[in-house]
Amino acid sequence: MTCEEFERVLQELGASHGIEQEAHLKSCSACSDLVSDLNAISQQARLLQASEEPSPWVWNSIELALRQDGLIHGSQRERASTFAPLLNWKLRWLVPLAAAFLVAFGVLMHERGTGQPPLSGTETARLQPGEAAMPSDDQQLLNTVGARMPSMRAAYETNLRSVNAYIRDAEQSAHSDPNDEVAQQYLMNAYEQRAMVYEMALDRSLP
Amino acid sequence: MYRKQSAATFAVVMVLVLTAFAADETTRKEFHFKVGHRASVSIINQYGPISVKPGPGKHVVVNAILHSNKVEIDQSKSGNRVSVFSHLLEGADAETGQVDYEVQVPADASVTLHSATGPLHVEKLHGDVILEGNTAVVDVRDLSAGHVHIKTLNGAVTLTNVSDGHVEITSVSGDVALNAVSGSLVHVNSSSGKIHYDGEFGEAGDYSLTSHSGDIEAIAPAYASIEVVARSVQGKVENDFPLQPEHTSFVARAGSAFAGTMGKAASSVKLLSFSGKIHLKKR
Repeated sequence: MTCEEFERVLQELGASHGIEQEAHLKSCSACSDLVSDLNAISQQARLLQASEEPSPWVWNSIELALRQDGLIHGSQRERASTFAPLLNWKLRWLVPLAAAFLVAFGVLMHERGTGQPPLSGTETARLQPGEAAMPSDDQQLLNTVGARMPSMRAAYETNLRSVNAYIRDAEQSAHSDPNDEVAQQYLMNAYEQRAMVYEMALDRSLP
Repeated sequence: MYRKQSAATFAVVMVLVLTAFAADETTRKEFHFKVGHRASVSIINQYGPISVKPGPGKHVVVNAILHSNKVEIDQSKSGNRVSVFSHLLEGADAETGQVDYEVQVPADASVTLHSATGPLHVEKLHGDVILEGNTAVVDVRDLSAGHVHIKTLNGAVTLTNVSDGHVEITSVSGDVALNAVSGSLVHVNSSSGKIHYDGEFGEAGDYSLTSHSGDIEAIAPAYASIEVVARSVQGKVENDFPLQPEHTSFVARAGSAFAGTMGKAASSVKLLSFSGKIHLKKR
């Protein structure tokens, strides 16, 4: 019996194995490992309670993450129809496996979403959580701008966040290689930008 | 009796109409100042455009259109220094506080313009030019022999045909475009704004175009004589020129950093971006 024949028969017989299958299992470590894994997953899957069924949000998040990574394409209907012929086979043997995998994946995606590393300087500025993350002196500056030129406050805040992101990236770059002259120039430029923003905001020549 | 009532009604209506017009009345004002050689002219106008061009003789002529009576113009002259200031009165906002300036100055005058909204326009001067605008669009053209300093938050900056001086531009998120700009020093410092240069990198100058995340595109002729370094920490770097390698501590990395010389390496060119793309293009 070949491994392909064994897998085909495994689908038909399920947990029970015939003499031929037993003999193949004894001689083939790959198929033996497969059966062991399936049995373990099946046992664990039975322990899953109905209350642990992931909410639709988890499935949506998983789908979104897979699309962003380019692992899936096209509409959900197309995907369902493409894989429809395989679902019957997988339903029988891999539903517990799929459920355990997707629950674990969903938990992983949820944790990854809160601890995702910064992508780039500009995007870091946009992704900073919460408006309260700005330093207190920046807040004071924005309050000053808001008092003098209310229509300009939003522009100053946006640009100040951009500059702070620049400083963060530049500091990180300079810290990683203190001898890098280019990194030092980034840092000087970033602080020059910040100084300019402050100077413009506090320019007493403007009413 | 009927006539008296009609006259009274007409008078009331006229008073109301005149009052309404007075509240939103635009006013045109003109100021003349006689100045000497290398005068200094400063215009501070929070809301509204300022345009400066050369005029004949040694006169500074200021034409202003005030959009309401909630703004007035304070002007002064001390020796060779002229100051014009848009004074916002109580209740003024971006509309009612707007003043439109058209100014003529001697070509050798130094000009300082401040405006939050702008736009700011300067052309054909030989003196120093200092422009500062928060969201103001800045347009400078045909300047020579002067120092140009420009600061904006997110106002776009365009320089055309500026030569023989220093150029220093700092903009947080405004795009900067330099067309036919050359000088002994040309520095652009941007955070997220794009930088576009199309010129010759001439006059044995020091050219530095740096940004945080804004893309940098520099277009130069095949005969450009430059020593160039370019690097992007997270972005892509492209070069259309065959560069001669040079002995330098700068580490070249394919796709993210390159360095080398062209011609006699008369000018120094730095193209640095943290996460933006850099492209040195051949015209």
